Formats: sequence, C-alpha cells, structure tokens
Amino acid sequence: MYEKAKAKINWPVTILLFIGLITVAFPLYMTIVIAFKQPSEMTNSISGILSLPKSWSLSNFSQAMELTDFWRSLGTSLMVTSVTLILSILLHSMMGYAVGRNKAHSKWYNFVYLFIVSGMFVPFAILMMPLAKQTAEMHLDNWFGVILLYVVFYMPMNLLLYTGYLVNIPIALEEAARVDGATTWRTFWSIIFPIMKPMHATVAVITALAVWNDVMTPLIIMSGKGTNTLPLAQLTFQTQFGTNYNLAFASYLLALIPIIIFYVLCQKQIINGVVNGAVK
Amino acid sequence: MKKLNDSKRTYMLITIPILALFVCFNTVPLIRGVIYSFTNFKGFGTYEWVGLRNYMDLFTDPRIGGSYLFTIKLAIMATIITNVISLILALGLNSSIKGKTFLRAAYFVPNVLGALVVGYIFQYFFTYILPGIGRALGIEALSSSMLSSSSTAWFAIVIVCAWQSIAMNTIIYISGIQTVPEDVYEAGDLDGATGWKKFRYLTFPLIIPFFTINMVLCVKNFLMVFDQIVAMTSGGPAQSTESISYLIYNNGLSGGSFGYQSANAVVFFIVIVAISVAQMTISGKKEEQL
Amino acid sequence: MRRKKGIYAVLAVSALAAVVLPGCSSGGKDGVTEIEILQYKPEAAAYFDQVEEQFNATHDDIHLTISSPDDASTIMRTRFVREDYPDIIGIGGDINYSYYVDADILADVSDYPGLADINEAYLDILEALEIVPTEGTYGVPYVANAAGILYNRDMFEENGWEIPETWDELISLCGEIQEKGILPFYFGFRDTWTCLAPWNALAVCLAPADTCKQVNAGATTFTEQYRETAEKCLELVSYGPDDPFAYGYNDACTAFANGEAAMYPIGSYAVPQVLQVNPEMNIDSFPLPASNDVSKNTLNSGVDLMFCVTAACEHKEAAYEVLDFLLEDENLQAYIDAQNAVPCKTGDFKLAPQLDGMLSFIEAGNMTDYQDHYYPSEMAADALIQTFLINKDVDQFLTTFDTSWQRYNRDIIREVQEYEEANGTAE
Repeated sequence: MYEKAKAKINWPVTILLFIGLITVAFPLYMTIVIAFKQPSEMTNSISGILSLPKSWSLSNFSQAMELTDFWRSLGTSLMVTSVTLILSILLHSMMGYAVGRNKAHSKWYNFVYLFIVSGMFVPFAILMMPLAKQTAEMHLDNWFGVILLYVVFYMPMNLLLYTGYLVNIPIALEEAARVDGATTWRTFWSIIFPIMKPMHATVAVITALAVWNDVMTPLIIMSGKGTNTLPLAQLTFQTQFGTNYNLAFASYLLALIPIIIFYVLCQKQIINGVVNGAVK
Repeated sequence: MKKLNDSKRTYMLITIPILALFVCFNTVPLIRGVIYSFTNFKGFGTYEWVGLRNYMDLFTDPRIGGSYLFTIKLAIMATIITNVISLILALGLNSSIKGKTFLRAAYFVPNVLGALVVGYIFQYFFTYILPGIGRALGIEALSSSMLSSSSTAWFAIVIVCAWQSIAMNTIIYISGIQTVPEDVYEAGDLDGATGWKKFRYLTFPLIIPFFTINMVLCVKNFLMVFDQIVAMTSGGPAQSTESISYLIYNNGLSGGSFGYQSANAVVFFIVIVAISVAQMTISGKKEEQL
Repeated sequence: MRRKKGIYAVLAVSALAAVVLPGCSSGGKDGVTEIEILQYKPEAAAYFDQVEEQFNATHDDIHLTISSPDDASTIMRTRFVREDYPDIIGIGGDINYSYYVDADILADVSDYPGLADINEAYLDILEALEIVPTEGTYGVPYVANAAGILYNRDMFEENGWEIPETWDELISLCGEIQEKGILPFYFGFRDTWTCLAPWNALAVCLAPADTCKQVNAGATTFTEQYRETAEKCLELVSYGPDDPFAYGYNDACTAFANGEAAMYPIGSYAVPQVLQVNPEMNIDSFPLPASNDVSKNTLNSGVDLMFCVTAACEHKEAAYEVLDFLLEDENLQAYIDAQNAVPCKTGDFKLAPQLDGMLSFIEAGNMTDYQDHYYPSEMAADALIQTFLINKDVDQFLTTFDTSWQRYNRDIIREVQEYEEANGTAE
C-alpha cells in the first residue's frame, strides 16, 4: 500500500510549485521585456511596461555592449575567475593535504588549521580599508592583487572542505605508494589529488560563483583603474546612463546571461557542489 | 628515517608559503585595522592617536546604533522568512510531483545571479511595478514605493535577500530530507502520524543539522549585506537602511572617517564572532540532546 | 622531484609577475611627461575625452590622461588612502578641498600665471574654505554653477506666469500652478544629495554666509540660524509630487523634461541631463527667492569645478601647460556650452540661455557660496535633511544637526581654536 501511495503524483503540490515559480520567473521576465523595448513604449501604466515589446530589436543590446565594453568586461571576468579557480584548487588542496594529514598528531598543524579556518569570521569590512592601503604599497592594486586576495579570502572555507574530505581517504593508499619509494610530493600529485576530484568540483563551483559576482574587492583594490568585470561594469553604467531604463536593463540582462548559460550547462554539478560545500 | 624527513620537509614547504600569504593578506590587515581604530586617521594626511575615543563615540552615535539595529533586524527577519519558505519548498519539491528535476533547477536560479544586478532589477520593481500593481488593484498600502518610506524600505531589502538565499537553503533542506530513512516514515504511518505531526516529530528532528547549517549561513550572510544596499537604497531613505558594512565602506573610505569606522569594524568583527560562537554552541547542545 | 621544481617555478613566476606587472604599465616613452587628471564630474566625461584627444594631438612632449570615473569622490579618497596621487585633480570647491589643503596633499599654485585671469571672487571663495588661513593658493577655479529653480519656459508663457521675486510671490505662484492641475515642483529625493539643492538655495538667503564658521567658533548654533530655512524647505516640498522619496535624480530630470512639473529646484548642472531626455525643451532658471526682503535674496553659486595640482606631482611645469590648455577661451567655452556652467575666468564668454533668469545676479556679483560646501561629507547632512523632510519635525532636526555637527567637526573645531589661540585673531 505504501509503495502505491509513493508512485501517485501529488497534483495539488505540483500545481502550487509551478505557480510559486512565478516569483522566480517574474523578475527575469520583467528584465527581458524592458530590455527589448524602446523608451517610447514605456507608458505609465504597468500593462504598458509589462506587455511584450512591439519588435524584438537588439539595438538596446548593441548599444549597451558598446557602453559597458561588454566583450572586454566579459574577458576580464573570465580571466579573473579562471585564474582564481586554478590557484585555489592547486594551493588549497595542497594546504588541505599538508594540514589534514598532520593536524591530528601535531600541535603546530592543528594551530595552523584553526588559525586559517577562523579567518572565516573576519568580515571583509574590517579588512577593506587596510587592504586598500597595503595592496597599493605592495604595487598589487591590479587584477593580480585582486586574484591573490580571492585566494586568501576563500582559503578558510576551502581548507575546511579539503581537510574534511581527506578524512575519508584511507592513509593506507599513501603508505603503499611510499613503500614503492615515491616521495610525499609525488604521492600527493599522483594519488591524493586525483582522488579529491569531487571536492575540486565543489571548491570550483563555490569559488567561481563567489568570484564571478563579487563587486566589492575590485572596487576597493583597483578603484576605477583598469578594466571592469561584468558586474562592476553595471555599477559604472548605472549612474552614468541611469535615465534610460531600457538600456540599463539590456545591460543587466547581458551581465546575467553568461552565468545563466553556465548554470544551464552544468546545473547538476553546480547544485551538488554548492550543497557539498555547505553540508560538509 | 630519510623518508620521514622528506615528508616532513614537504609538508613544511607547502604550509609555510601559503600560511605566509594568508597572514600577509588577512592577519596583517586585520591588525592594521585594529591599530587605525585608535587614531583619527582620515585616510590621507597626518593622524594622531586618540586612545579609546572612537570606541566611546561608537556607543553614543545614533547613526551607528541605527545601522546595527537595521542590520540585525534584517538578519533576523530574512533568516526566518528564508528558512520557513525554504522548508516548505523543500518538502514540496521532495514529494512525488511531476517535473521534479525541472522545478528544483528552476528554483535554484536566483542563487547564481549577482546580488548587485538583482538589486538593480528589484529597485525598478519596487519603484514602478509594485506601486502600479497596487494602484491597479486599489491596495492603498502598495500604491507608493516601498523603498521611499523608512518604515517599509528595510522590508524590501529583506525580500530581495530572501529571494536570493531561499534557493540555496531549499537545496540544503532537500538533501537533508533525503537522508531521512524511509522506515522512519513507515513506523510513523503505523502510529498514525500525518501532516504537521509527521513533520514536527519525524522529519524535523532528523534534519536539525541541516537547519543549523542554514541558520549559520543565513545569519552570517545577512549581517554582511552590502550589494543590495548599494543597488537599491544607498542607505536611504532617512538613513534607515544603512547596513554596517555599507556604513563602514561609505564613511570610512569615501567619507574620511577611516579611523572611526575602523573602530566600528573591530566591534562588528567581535559581534560576528560572538554570534557565530553562540549559534554553534546552542545548536551543538541541541544535536546532543537528540 | 621534477614536479616539485615545476611548482617552485610556478611560484617564482607568480612572485616575479607581482613585481613586474605593475612596473610595465607605468613605463612611457623617453622624454614624454605623463600627466594624469582625475576629475569628479562623470557627466562631463565626453568633454574631457575630447580635451584629452586634442591635447595629445597637439603636444609631443606631454601625454595627458583624464579619467572621469563614477563615484569619483570615493575613488579619489581610495587613491589618497593608497598614496597613489594623480598629477592634477578636478574637484568642487567644498569641504574636500578644505581637507586636502589641510592634509598638504595639494601644491601651492600661486606662481601659476593663469591665476591672473581668474575672477577674484572665486579665489576668495577658495580662501574662505581653508580650515585655518593657509599661505598660498591651492586651486585654479574653472567653472561655477548656480542653484535655484529651473522652469519650463513654454509652460510659463502659455499661462502668463511671472517670475517670482519674493517668497510670498513664489508660494502664490505655486498655488496658481496647482489650480491649473499642474504639479509645481518635481523632486528626486531618493538620491539624498538632491535634498541639498533647495536647502542651499534657501539657506544662502536666510542664514549668514559664514554660519558654519561661526558655529565652529562657538558664536552661534544651527538651531538659531537654520529654523526658517528648514520650515521653508518643508513648505516647498509640499508642492512637490506625493512621494518625492520614491524617485532619484534621473527620474526627476526625466519627469521635468516630460513636462510633468512646471519647476524643478536644482542646480544649473541638471540642464544637460534634462535636455538629454527632451532636447527641444525650453528651459530657463531663476534664483530661489527665499526672503520677502528682496535685498536679502542672493544667488546660490559656488565653484563647481577647479583644478588642483597635487604636491606629489613631479612635473609642475607640464601640469601648468595642461591647465593653460584647459583655460584657453575656446576650450572653456566648449565646457560652458556642454555643461551649462558659469566660467570662473574673466573674459567674454557666452552663457547658455538656460541661465537667462540668473544673469542679472551673476553680473551684479550677488552670489553666495553653498552652505553645504562647509559640511563634512561623513556627517551626511544630505541624509539628515532627507530624514527631516520625511519626518517633518523641525525641532528634532535642528537638534540632530547641531549634535552631529559637533561630533563630526570635533577635530576641525579644535584646530580652529588652537590656531586662534596661537595667532590671537579671535574674531
């Protein structure tokens, strides 16, 4: 009897959930519709704002792309995110290994572990002003500096994840390799690093989402010099061309599209990654 | 013996540079922040030591008080709303429904979008669309912009924060509910547990660890709210939505109260640590009880 | 072992890159002096891009870069925090200038020959902004602006409305406009700084010009001086849209451009923004007549943009050459046309027709600097005024204003008092 009940589709809940989806879809629908319209189509009534545009012209988009230097911003975003990802995965997994394998029997490693992980509680607000000064003194007020900062900011979280995952990897694997004469360094790269693959995916997804959408770090470290990332370009755009909402929304939509495409393509990995990160 | 040295050296060679990097960009600025908090530094020019003056001022400054009040109010309200809705959604998405995969994926979308752009979109929504809907339906309360009144603006921010984080919390609850073994329900069925009772006495106790995760995540994120404020209100109207992070950024960096806001940041840091520790102790005890 | 070396190589390269990368960007051709201007008016970005291009086309020995970022004041502050100074900064004549002079960030430009052509009145304004009297001149005023009321000239002509010269006339005009079913004023108070426009325009007529300095000297309080300003400000707002706090500056400019209101109390700087929405619009302006005593009414005008050479600038000669270029009549006129500004340089310049109604005040020199140029930005006087306009509680507002003032100006007040003790120039 139980089996039967399980197989039966609960229609009221299904319908309610589809209705609830409006809350997610509506803001996106609004963005798309406004992005395609011309200012003259924006009447004062909401039906005028929310109706479908008369023609699906791409002119707002091409103008917005020009004003926000879209391709360059996209390139910067991609560059910053991917370099941060590579560095984070390499450095944090190494660190996770060194600390994770030793913190049980060594006071020093246990201290290092707690020291770094407690960095999670340091709000960016207290770091930003000294960092603005310090990065400039070190001539790191550029994208390289921003990337280094990301590697540091996400270290506590990622270290926690990697050391947590390492507990599940039996130490016997490494000992076997060592008996065969492999160095610790080699053992890590040839055995541990590949085994950690699921955690790499998790770290990659969490770090990528955070870096891609971050505005504050580059805002403070570079303060308007150099190229923008996509979200940063919106900030610049907002005040300068704020009168034309249609143009602004085209630009917002352009900023959202890359991450939505990424999400549609790797939806499963993203959800799993994010959940692993939070639950572990 | 040689082997042991090799591994010890390797571990050290990995740890030291990375630790140095961390100290350089996390610990050192933290200490410098604390040092600045004892000065009247404007961010440029010369400065003097003022002892504890900044800290004394913090407690008498209504603006600082207001920002703490707003931030805490926002964090509490958004945490409650987010968790209630997420739990309901998670239960729904976990029941036998059609299009489960699609629905789960769709409800997660807000989480991947950048908070700044989402803020801009909602700002337009609250200024033009919602009052329009209010007028069309003849609802007085909705017919003026929520963002223009200091009694409602904070709630608009709560809505946007919740809109984005519900996605994440729902997914975490779903994975929590999936850990509940079927036989628990079967046993429950025998006892005649249904609906609310089933949830209250069977499901919920088993997903408490996930509830804890969600609480910690929510409170920490909401306390540090920044992007939404920049995009939607810039702290207005009437300074009613100045979050702590926003105030530190705005007055500390562009306003010239570098030293004073450093003191604010130090206090903020202590508050966050205290809240996190408290949360973990409490939930740790709860889990023990079960 | 090979892998190990590989990783070391990566680390070494990263470390090297950290040192080399920023080095690359600052290098230039030999014999070419780099001059960077950071100016705070993003709305004039197009003009400055053009100036930059023209300058570089005509000068081989100097390469000029002008950046006009959004949120420039934050960016400027952040760069000062990082001690990364541009050669020239373009700022307004406000408290930031006072701070920068006080912090020795700016260079003395009294040896700049171009100063001779600058209207003396504007140099006096800069002098007054110094926290304590400081030897030398630290800025070259470029253009001034004026704040008052922009009005829809066509709408006024159609209805036969007259330009008011006293407060009572203004209020009765508002009543007349309302009777026609037209909104007298538009406001965009969601952007807090726009609250300062009507505030300043009222305060220059109703409070002494040196109110802030007097308060710093302990001679008076804002509660005493600002009551009438506050009350009249509230009265003005009652003739605005139902919910002025819902709209930003851009929304207000758009609404005024579309004829949704007859008048818009804002500065002359808003005209380009309005014309961007409705290029055909026929706009004029007049000073806000805050008093019923015509002799007390004055035009609210201050230095909108000036150029300061920073103390860190290594090529003062080159910087002066850039200033000369900016101050050439032709270029200054181009700025005036683009931004609806008033030149600070003496000479024969053509002002925009949108300033017609203010011309008599400008020519007579009946102008008073903005009060808010003395307000420290971290005090957020604009937000205080916004709060007041929402709550409408005059007494509470004035008290808050006084207490906030004492809190945020403590260091300035002490500096002023120490200076006066040392120099015995108590007023």
